[in-house]
Amino acid sequence: MPLITMKCDELIPERGKHTYITDTENPVIPACNVTTIPGDMTERGCPFAGARGVVGGPIVDIIHMVHSPVGCAYYTWGSRRSLPDWYSWSGPNKLDNAAFNRRYCVTTDMEEKDVVFGGGTKLKKACIEAFKMFPEAKGLFMYTTCTSGLIGDDIPAVAKQVEKTVGKPVFFAQAPGCSGVSQSKGHHVLNHEFYRQIKALREKNPDLCMKEEEKTPYDINLIGDYNMDWDIKAIIPLFEQMGIRVVATFTGNERIENLIKMPDAKLNVVHCQRSAGYIAELINEHAGTTHLDVTLYGIVETSKALRDVGKHFGLEKQAEAVIEKETARIKESIAYYRSKLEGKTVALYVGAPRVWHWIHLMEELGMEIVAMACTFAHKDDYEKINAKAKSNILVIDNPNEFEVEEMLHDYKPDLFLCGLKEKYIARKMGVSTVNSHSYEKGPYADYFGFVNFARDIYQGFYAPVWNFVKNNPSEEVE
Amino acid sequence: MNRGAIKEQPVVINPCKACQPIGAMYATLGIKHAVPLVQGSQGCSTFVRYQFNRHFREPANIAVTSFHEDAVVFGGRRNLIEGIINLVQHYHPEVIGVVTTCSSETIGDDIAAFIKEAKQRLTAEIGAEKAAKTFIVPLRTPSYSGSHVQGYDNGARQYLEQLAQESKPNQKLNIIPGMINPGDIAEIKHLMSAMGAANNMLFDISETLNAPLKMKNSFFPDGGTAAADLVDAANSLGTIALSRHAGGGAATYLLRKFNVPAVLGPFPVGIYNTDLFLEQAVKLTGQPVTAEIKRERGLLLDAMADTCTITALKKVAIFGDPDTVIGVARFASELGMELIAVGTTADSKEFYREIGLIAKEYNCAPQIVADGGLHKLEQVLLQNRVEMLIGNSNGAAIAKQADIPLVRIGFPVTDRVGYQRRPIVGYNGSLWLLDYIVNAFLERK
Ligand code: SF4
Repeated sequence: MPLITMKCDELIPERGKHTYITDTENPVIPACNVTTIPGDMTERGCPFAGARGVVGGPIVDIIHMVHSPVGCAYYTWGSRRSLPDWYSWSGPNKLDNAAFNRRYCVTTDMEEKDVVFGGGTKLKKACIEAFKMFPEAKGLFMYTTCTSGLIGDDIPAVAKQVEKTVGKPVFFAQAPGCSGVSQSKGHHVLNHEFYRQIKALREKNPDLCMKEEEKTPYDINLIGDYNMDWDIKAIIPLFEQMGIRVVATFTGNERIENLIKMPDAKLNVVHCQRSAGYIAELINEHAGTTHLDVTLYGIVETSKALRDVGKHFGLEKQAEAVIEKETARIKESIAYYRSKLEGKTVALYVGAPRVWHWIHLMEELGMEIVAMACTFAHKDDYEKINAKAKSNILVIDNPNEFEVEEMLHDYKPDLFLCGLKEKYIARKMGVSTVNSHSYEKGPYADYFGFVNFARDIYQGFYAPVWNFVKNNPSEEVE
Repeated sequence: MNRGAIKEQPVVINPCKACQPIGAMYATLGIKHAVPLVQGSQGCSTFVRYQFNRHFREPANIAVTSFHEDAVVFGGRRNLIEGIINLVQHYHPEVIGVVTTCSSETIGDDIAAFIKEAKQRLTAEIGAEKAAKTFIVPLRTPSYSGSHVQGYDNGARQYLEQLAQESKPNQKLNIIPGMINPGDIAEIKHLMSAMGAANNMLFDISETLNAPLKMKNSFFPDGGTAAADLVDAANSLGTIALSRHAGGGAATYLLRKFNVPAVLGPFPVGIYNTDLFLEQAVKLTGQPVTAEIKRERGLLLDAMADTCTITALKKVAIFGDPDTVIGVARFASELGMELIAVGTTADSKEFYREIGLIAKEYNCAPQIVADGGLHKLEQVLLQNRVEMLIGNSNGAAIAKQADIPLVRIGFPVTDRVGYQRRPIVGYNGSLWLLDYIVNAFLERK
């Protein structure tokens, strides 16, 4: 059974190209990464969200300047839980409650006159003023949005001028909301523009590169991890135990000086291959660094990742030791949760990669996947899904709200792993949810994160409230 | 750390405002079976949904016409027409509020013409009768001017401009709530029904964004103001806009066009403001203030008397939407607190005037931070050893840094649960707010 059209889509036949049933014998790739049908209740965001909100935002020690009317900046203010510990330049009792990048929303607050006469001058003034107010900032990142993109402010020129005036690096990503079909476009743009600027910086300023004597043979970058709810606290120690050093995390809880050193590492370990695979390729083109695609969720996948990295460096024994130790530590807990969750059904809905990141993890918990959906997946994401998933699972690309509801209604998963917007819909339908984007009580990555994940699934699922909902006839369908 | 004096700024840090579209969507979600359709790119719908989800902990149905590169080149005509047709065929909404954004306004979309064309195509495709079942209302809300407050005001006004129609007097009192919480609206309804006054609550989110968990498989939530009641708003006894800055425009429109008496504010929190609100309601409806309401007033006075030494002379800063701030500032003054600073979104004469009146009456000299954002307010707050901050969740970091309690009111409150269900208006709401304020101090003892 290849592509299918859901009942609710009868009037939008176009959507039939986006939905299919997995079949290990005859895998299909749905239409994906294409325009959204206007008026569709899509869950997608905009490229600016991908650039500012996801990839650029977690850089902790720079000013994030959003060149826009107030809205775009306001909505990306501290909202994503990619957590930082770089308590910025905090003196005693100062700013100890949040790191700089999440604490402040900095914007040019464009107004009508800027739209009419251009916002370049205002942007320049804003950047210089911001540097004055935050003299500790190590640089600045400018983001354009629909308005500044449409009126065509010359961002590179302003960046150059500010850089000259202030003497600190100024980066920019031009991914206005209307420049692509989803946030994925913004990931792409930021990867490319940022890396190009890093390269130029290094050339101009070799001091910023890692000194020869600082290098070790076991330097890696962790690419595509945004430190959701402290995932990197689970991930980085594993590598360190193997004797590997993480030079930079692109971009979870990371400082700009380390990101500039990315080309000096020996290997790129790529976690989110959708939003950050680009930069790994760019580094490869530029510095010849190889990269390894990994999944760092669940025992099976994490162990495979460690083995792959170990093999690359000839650290096989070290990898095995870590795997053994970590697995032993969590074996009992996972077995417990598995005994509780065995046979339960689950639907997965995330941006894209975490859907295929989690397929094996669900199997480890004995859960059966009945449906999957991705907001901004590309072809290669569906290839990965098809390679990992069993047959007969519904897959929806860029689902609209009706499709989500129909899926919940017809496939009746016991649990729905989804984001903020969908969880309130699911709960109203009596389906328990776990936040798949920024987690409930993370970290979820790696071994001990897996226990958290299993625990949250278990807790969501076994909450007594669902019994009241299910057993109370007065609450039945109206 | 001294960040230096801040003058007229080219840069805004931690804005105390969001953009116009979210305000218009807020109003739209208070209409029965209505969907906001954002004419723009997907961020403008998705971000706003997040805000609503986080604050109300409810689903929020918002559609978008998904501008991509082609819309930038060719304009948003195709997007809007297809979007409307899709939405009507798929979801059968009774009202679609077409919310414009900075992108569609910058491109210069002719929204009215596009809607007309969409209606023609709908009529051709599904028949005149079915097509007429959906009101499609353009809401012009360019995000590069004003704020969410103005967006609500513009949205509410444009709904009434498009829908309100004169017919028979309906003996009801229109109430336009503004960007207040479901709990607040429920409290106002309680006051109305205690008075025996029939009300026509416009943009009523009290149920649409506060819905029970019941296994109901319908796209639209219960509740909301019926389109027919927006039409009928032209025939009411009067209109009270609880928030002058968010709804005042609509009330004024009804006055000018249909001669419906309009009262703008005050936001009814505390003794003075609630008294005034009721007085006006009595005047417009002819219904009396009942013993039940008087008892509520007495309970509030009693609690104020019991706690006056705890609140007395406490230095307070308040920020948020202008009307809420004006209302709460007066109430805080009634509690004997000292108003040190007020921050708001709008640079409004009315705001200055109202705060000036309170300052005079209660002999204080609050600093007004009307631009420059919360970062500026933060500095004022630190310099003046303020003891309590009242405002939304965006003040959490500031309060933590200043090591003072934050009393959470307004929108958005995302880092605590339940405040959207609790009123701060009316005597009951004020009583709850008083308890909250006093307990926040007691907890610090
Ligand atoms: S205006 Fe454009 S960039 Fe800003 S949030 Fe909306 S879609 Fe995104």
